[in-house]
Amino acid sequence: MLKRFITIIVLMLFVLSVVSCGQAKKESGIKIAMVTDVGGINDQSFNQSAWEGLKRAEKEFALSVDYLESNQDADYAPNMETLLDAGNNLIWGIGFKMGDTIQEKALENPEQNYAIIDYAYGDDTPANVVGVVFKEQEPSFLVGYIAGKMTKTNKVGFVGGMKFPLIEKFEYGFKAGVQLANPKAEIFAQYADSFTDAAKGKAIANQMYGNGADIVYHAAGGVGDGVIEAAKEQDKFAIGVDRDQNSLAPEHVITSAMKRVDNAIYNVAALLVKGEFPGGTTVVYGLKEGGVGIAPTSYKLVPAEILEEVEGLKAKIIAGEIVVPSTPDSYTEWMK
Amino acid sequence: MIETILSNIALIIGTTLMYSTPLIYTSLGGVLSENSGVINIGLEGMMVIGAFAGAAIGYFVGDPWIAFIGAGIAGGLFGLLHAFACVTFGANQVVSGIAINFLGAGIALFLSRMFFEGATMTKSIPLDNKMPRPLNGVFPDGSLLNIIFDNQYATVYLALLMVLIIWFFMYKTKFGLRLRSVGEHPTAADTLGINVIRIRYLAVIMSGVFAGFGGAAMSLAIVSNFRPTLVSGHGFIALAAMIFGKWKPQGALLACLLFGGAQGLVVFLGQFDFEISTQLISMLPYVITIVVLIGFVGKSAAPSADGIPYEKEQKY
Amino acid sequence: MKVNFKNLRKSLYIFATEKTFGFTLISIFLGLVVGAIFLAVAGFNPFQAYWVMLRGIFAKPSYISYTIIRATPLILTGLSIAFAFKTGLFNIGAEGQFIIGSVAATAAGYFLHLPLLIHIPVVILSAILAAGIWGGLAGFFKAKFGVHEVISTIMLNWIALYFQNFLIYTNGFQKPGGETSHSIQSTANMMILKTWKQSESGREWLLQHPFWKDLLRTPINLGFIIAILMAILVWFILNKTALGYRLRAVGFNKFAAEYGGINVNKNMIISMFIAGALAGLAGALQVVGVSHKVTLIAAMEGYGFDGIAVALIANSNALGCILAGLLFGALKYGGTKIQMFPVKAPSEVINIVIGSIVFFISIPKLIKVILSRKTKKGGTK
Repeated sequence: MLKRFITIIVLMLFVLSVVSCGQAKKESGIKIAMVTDVGGINDQSFNQSAWEGLKRAEKEFALSVDYLESNQDADYAPNMETLLDAGNNLIWGIGFKMGDTIQEKALENPEQNYAIIDYAYGDDTPANVVGVVFKEQEPSFLVGYIAGKMTKTNKVGFVGGMKFPLIEKFEYGFKAGVQLANPKAEIFAQYADSFTDAAKGKAIANQMYGNGADIVYHAAGGVGDGVIEAAKEQDKFAIGVDRDQNSLAPEHVITSAMKRVDNAIYNVAALLVKGEFPGGTTVVYGLKEGGVGIAPTSYKLVPAEILEEVEGLKAKIIAGEIVVPSTPDSYTEWMK
Repeated sequence: MIETILSNIALIIGTTLMYSTPLIYTSLGGVLSENSGVINIGLEGMMVIGAFAGAAIGYFVGDPWIAFIGAGIAGGLFGLLHAFACVTFGANQVVSGIAINFLGAGIALFLSRMFFEGATMTKSIPLDNKMPRPLNGVFPDGSLLNIIFDNQYATVYLALLMVLIIWFFMYKTKFGLRLRSVGEHPTAADTLGINVIRIRYLAVIMSGVFAGFGGAAMSLAIVSNFRPTLVSGHGFIALAAMIFGKWKPQGALLACLLFGGAQGLVVFLGQFDFEISTQLISMLPYVITIVVLIGFVGKSAAPSADGIPYEKEQKY
Repeated sequence: MKVNFKNLRKSLYIFATEKTFGFTLISIFLGLVVGAIFLAVAGFNPFQAYWVMLRGIFAKPSYISYTIIRATPLILTGLSIAFAFKTGLFNIGAEGQFIIGSVAATAAGYFLHLPLLIHIPVVILSAILAAGIWGGLAGFFKAKFGVHEVISTIMLNWIALYFQNFLIYTNGFQKPGGETSHSIQSTANMMILKTWKQSESGREWLLQHPFWKDLLRTPINLGFIIAILMAILVWFILNKTALGYRLRAVGFNKFAAEYGGINVNKNMIISMFIAGALAGLAGALQVVGVSHKVTLIAAMEGYGFDGIAVALIANSNALGCILAGLLFGALKYGGTKIQMFPVKAPSEVINIVIGSIVFFISIPKLIKVILSRKTKKGGTK
């Protein structure tokens, strides 16, 4: 009888403790957390880059950092709620797919700071949100220039993941760079309609190499693994994206168009710590702000003279003398 | 003109071989298991663990064949799990297979984090430590045969050899006959003194081994590492190929080649700027498969005792 | 004392083996144990992790709401597959039918302009119809041409995925900006109190009432109620109608059914149609209640595949799908919370837990064996 009584008490206590505790214990110090998009934290691409930026900020500024992976689009909102409840000072959404969700949550929680990568709200930016966008066309332009100069067959290639405006920035910046360096060059461009099918990437790259291309640039996530693999096998060249992908094939990845998501995250963290969170604005990261660039290991495979010319172009872009196209229309304009 | 047409065809053939190879191994695994009477939906999970094991062992050890065998062993262990559940405990074979899909994916990522500093991707294997490419440099540059066979990995040829071996095993040896009898009429086979339990165990373990090979064919040959999205449904395509091929190894081979060929066609068509959306073109392999099934293949029947756990008659 | 122990073991044995529900509970327990082992091996504290999960599901009204929202599509796709199983068909195509349902719902929700009370039912009906046809197509292929439904539905899944992307690329459907479709009209929106809670006055009021603010921050909608109603409806159809009887007879033994005068072919198509309709309803509810649009998808989201596990955990029982769907939703939603401080465990442990649970559910005999040994030991003492 006593046993039964005790069991019931214990169960009641259990249920009560579960239901009543609301907030998690708050730790001291500033907390920043991020929600990845469906690519996952280790997609060897910008989710990973973002996390690296957070970890660097953690060390530098004694922060607490966290992340939550999303498996489906429907996970974005619940993940952000979870981070909100955990008492984070700043919540990042990594990827344009979270554009609407971040806006919604920001309006719901005006006291909470939010930030997002690859999305800009323009004049409608809520006061507690920072939109961070990159000028992906600029480093693509530079690597396009390198490709145009280095190609011995006057044929280069571009492999995209799926065709939408973000990836088109990579495509048209690249094409413009190639054209500037080498007006005679032919550019193959093909989309894999996937960000994960590496075999398809390899097949497309093989086809391009078979058609005479000797340098292929990819903006295709996991599909790019296949592109780089093809370059390895055929002893041709590839150009990486988002991170320095030279380590994947040291003799064959001549350069990469880097998107310094980690720098963006780090910089915003620094501003937050200083109390100068740039809420209500859009931060644009181009060459000028050091938010994009070409891979530091480029010197290994790219001749020094070409790299010097690239520096010159970089200066011109920063000065505003060159405006790199990023859409089909602006590219057509550029070509005139 | 003829030149370019032929070289394009050669390119498509090359892509077909590359694409089909992992499917061939895995569907052979399915053939073995189901012909012994055990449904194996878990091919996908076994492929994933095989892909991971192959990439991880290949990275740390540096020898592709050890890695390949290791991948087979990893897949075989999951096969053992499936056999344990289905053959000894009479589990619902579909359920067990689905469980293995979850477990394979989860455990592969789990182990990856343990061995690769928290990353869910393994590190790249240098070209020399990957599978060998036997026919490299054998044919003159630019010739059609070179286009097809240059940079084809040993896994491709091995897969084709395996089809032959499995076909021979199943239809020309008495072991194969026993296997098939166990899948058709286990009770009759039992009365003839055939050890149904043991044959089913072996068949299911081997199906795991082959699925593991299929995964390794992706991470040790097509690319040079493992990432969580590498396999992404290929195990299910292999399952479909097995059914398409009417549970026979030669049929499965043709189905895999058809599928790989359609993918090659998609890649080929993608280089042109058609009015037709690339999305519709990407549907081709799947549409073609259904069309061929309707038009040419018709009814297919699994082995009679497929999916039914075998209960030994109590003699006392 | 000793006598109590023996009785406890005996009643546990009976509970676990003779009542399916009890058996499922034990499988869940064992699955959690396996997950705990993996967590411990990797250096995490399994009790802490499970505690975080539990708190993450129950501690706040919004958590419970999210769990229910997460579970709703799974209940329906689970129903779809359970229904098909009962009629002898394996519907791996729930994923593709889900996609077709969500696309149809978005199209009907955006292009049509109807008053509120009519718009939502029209949207849902069009989704059910479209997805039902998608499923029925596989049934047709099997009935007319003998094409195994496993192959045809796997293929149709991929075709549906590319079809969704194709439509999003089409002008008129595509929202400028390129990655999504237009959102559905507000009259098609089923989210409870959506416009109000986003308005100025709504926000003001909510700030004063934390309970409601918490609950309403989730996209709470009527989908769950509809899912439960569907489960009851499916159970009713299968067990209490002549149609259900015929469909189950075909599933049980095709040849006997045919001999008994049942038109096997026609019933196969009907089965797949209903199964497709259920999965399509899941997609429609997801659009109407939660997302309000469709986006470019690079890979399948998994609602259909998870539905297979749900159906299997529920042993293909229609009412069981409700509980299994909730369990799954809880595991998936609560599971995300272990990634953060203080646990910081990797998310795939949840897949291992789910896989283990499904594995144990597949082998009733194992549990019987384990428990019967225990009772024997208790007895000889």
